[in-house]
Amino acid sequence: MDLVKRLLKARGLSSLAFLIALFIIVGAMNPAFLTPATIAACFNTSVVYTLVAVGVAFTLFIGEIDVSVGSNLGLVAVVVGSMLRDGTPLPVACLVGILIGVAIGLVNAWGVAVMKAPSLIFTLGTNGVLRGIVYVYTNGQWVENLPKEFKDFSAVTGIGDFTVYYCAVIALVILIHFALIQTRRGRWFAAVGDNANGATLVGIPALQTKILAYVICGVMAAIGGIIFCSRIGFVTPMSGNGYEMKAIAACVLGGVSLLGGVGSVLGAAVGSVIMASISYLLVFMGFSSNYDNAITGVILIVIVVVDALLQHRSIVQNRHARLNARVSPKATSEVLAEQIADFGEAAMSPLGKKGGVR
Amino acid sequence: MMKTLKGFLSKGQTSWNMILIGLLVLEFVIFGAANGKFLRPALLFTSINDNLPVFMISLFVTLVMVTGGIDIQVASLVGLTSITIGVGWQDFGLPIWGAVGVAFVLVVACGALSGFLIAYCRVQAMVVTLGGSFLYSGLALLISTLSKTESYQGIGGFPEDFKFVSNFQLFGVIPFQLLIYILMLVIAFILLHKTKYGRRITLVGVNQSAAEFSGINSRAVIMSTYMLTAVSAVIAGVVLTAYLGTAKSDLGADLTMDIITAVVLGGTLSTGGKGSIVGTALASFVIAFLRFGLPLCFKVSPQYLDIPVGVLLVVVIVARSAASGTNIGAFLKSLLSSSSKAKA
Repeated sequence: MDLVKRLLKARGLSSLAFLIALFIIVGAMNPAFLTPATIAACFNTSVVYTLVAVGVAFTLFIGEIDVSVGSNLGLVAVVVGSMLRDGTPLPVACLVGILIGVAIGLVNAWGVAVMKAPSLIFTLGTNGVLRGIVYVYTNGQWVENLPKEFKDFSAVTGIGDFTVYYCAVIALVILIHFALIQTRRGRWFAAVGDNANGATLVGIPALQTKILAYVICGVMAAIGGIIFCSRIGFVTPMSGNGYEMKAIAACVLGGVSLLGGVGSVLGAAVGSVIMASISYLLVFMGFSSNYDNAITGVILIVIVVVDALLQHRSIVQNRHARLNARVSPKATSEVLAEQIADFGEAAMSPLGKKGGVR
Repeated sequence: MMKTLKGFLSKGQTSWNMILIGLLVLEFVIFGAANGKFLRPALLFTSINDNLPVFMISLFVTLVMVTGGIDIQVASLVGLTSITIGVGWQDFGLPIWGAVGVAFVLVVACGALSGFLIAYCRVQAMVVTLGGSFLYSGLALLISTLSKTESYQGIGGFPEDFKFVSNFQLFGVIPFQLLIYILMLVIAFILLHKTKYGRRITLVGVNQSAAEFSGINSRAVIMSTYMLTAVSAVIAGVVLTAYLGTAKSDLGADLTMDIITAVVLGGTLSTGGKGSIVGTALASFVIAFLRFGLPLCFKVSPQYLDIPVGVLLVVVIVARSAASGTNIGAFLKSLLSSSSKAKA
């Protein structure tokens, strides 16, 4: 029972369990699914979502949100795509793309962190502006005829059936994860998201942390845009449209709270695999892709509702434990020791579960 | 100069409404001077008709945002209404108004479900309505597959008494759908500003615990606002279906940004507790005429129109935050200090 409790509290892990259960169910319905190639394909298709979702997760950690990532990705994709088409060397094009991401991140950071504008609305505005710029830049045309080597590189496999892109991205995500939980600076993000004023009072530079989160988010979306070019092979002016919502959904599926301070980038990566592979899984289950959105919506709603109910229950239980401790004959320190034994690491770890109250 | 502007921005809703009216007048002067056609009543009514769904829905999304929530699923409910009417009428042989009734029940149930999850299960409004936007647009797509018509074609050929909604014009100029909007405007205004219910919505937005302790059933209030937006989505869906003459599952899918822009531009706080129906209505007109006037008078391609609308939203939201302190100097300073720290 204790183990179950622990597992329920580690949301990143429970979403991984959900993903595995999903694979097993689909495999039971259609054994053709259970080959390494098809399972690897589920992960490989998620590579762009993973990048965008990890970026968005940073803004969610600090208690804000970024819905401009879709257009950010689109803009970088059309700029990098058209530069490569016109014969610019790849490193230069990538550098320009990433600089665009940094610039967009700085603009969002200026609005949200410095001018204190509500993040959802500010980034909704920049999303519209960026999408308009994409149309101005491309004149409504598709960007085609990308270099063949660049397109073909997306199919090159690294470890097993996983593409080089996915291996690189997942290595990056793991690196970020450890940077976040092992370094002092990494903890700042969650601290600012948990309580910005408190973080400022203990000497954390809250403003810089917020700016950094938005810049990271912009850069991740920009890298996503470059890989998008390579994987898809052409770029339409609508590229990346709707990615912001899918990225937020992936974060939520992976246990990142929109209230800030809770979650991990690994969870966001697992959530992205779920989001990206749903349409793929449906084909193996014999449904048409028309069910795609409906099932995504159901999964998202069910997961967040169950999560909210569990959280509420644990808040009530904690409160009862606290109140009982006040009237119990035992010494307070003993009760406290028991509580730490019970809720232990989860209660002590800054990345652990936080009681969310509406 | 700067100071008076600052004071003006941070003052109450009345002066904000004056700014919006000023923007409207400015649009009329500039667009009217650039191209006389802009001022023709027939064209103006066309531009209003094109944007009526945004007008209608933003009124009630204002109520949701006053409670401190947000509704990004409402655009998918417009498509759900439209396709339910189309499929119900064409493939299930319901009378047209019967199909509208079915759509009404279905869509309000959808709104109630989201409202229930937000109010009673304490899930964030943003997450639930994000899930809802996937779920209900997916549902609309599934309903469209029940039809023998291919979904991309749209279901058309509605009877005359349905098209009446969009065809009838009072005194030969004022479209009937505009009258529906004015009625909704009056209802929303009375609801938010003149009734006990409106005071309750506002108090829930200011402080839900305080509302709960003063005997208000805050959860029921929150849930009801999502049902009201669903009702407005049904009306908008009916009007849009009749106006375009086709029922499609993705009608109105791109309205979300305009709706939120209208509500925020109208002076409603996204954190809740403060909002104005008149402001929302004025703001939605500002956006609609901007979208109509720029292509007509300055030959701006309609694809580019997200830029001015987005800039308007960004500028307004920054100006309002700036009116309550902070400046760009702090930003530059923090950048410098962070980069010098990185070097060290």
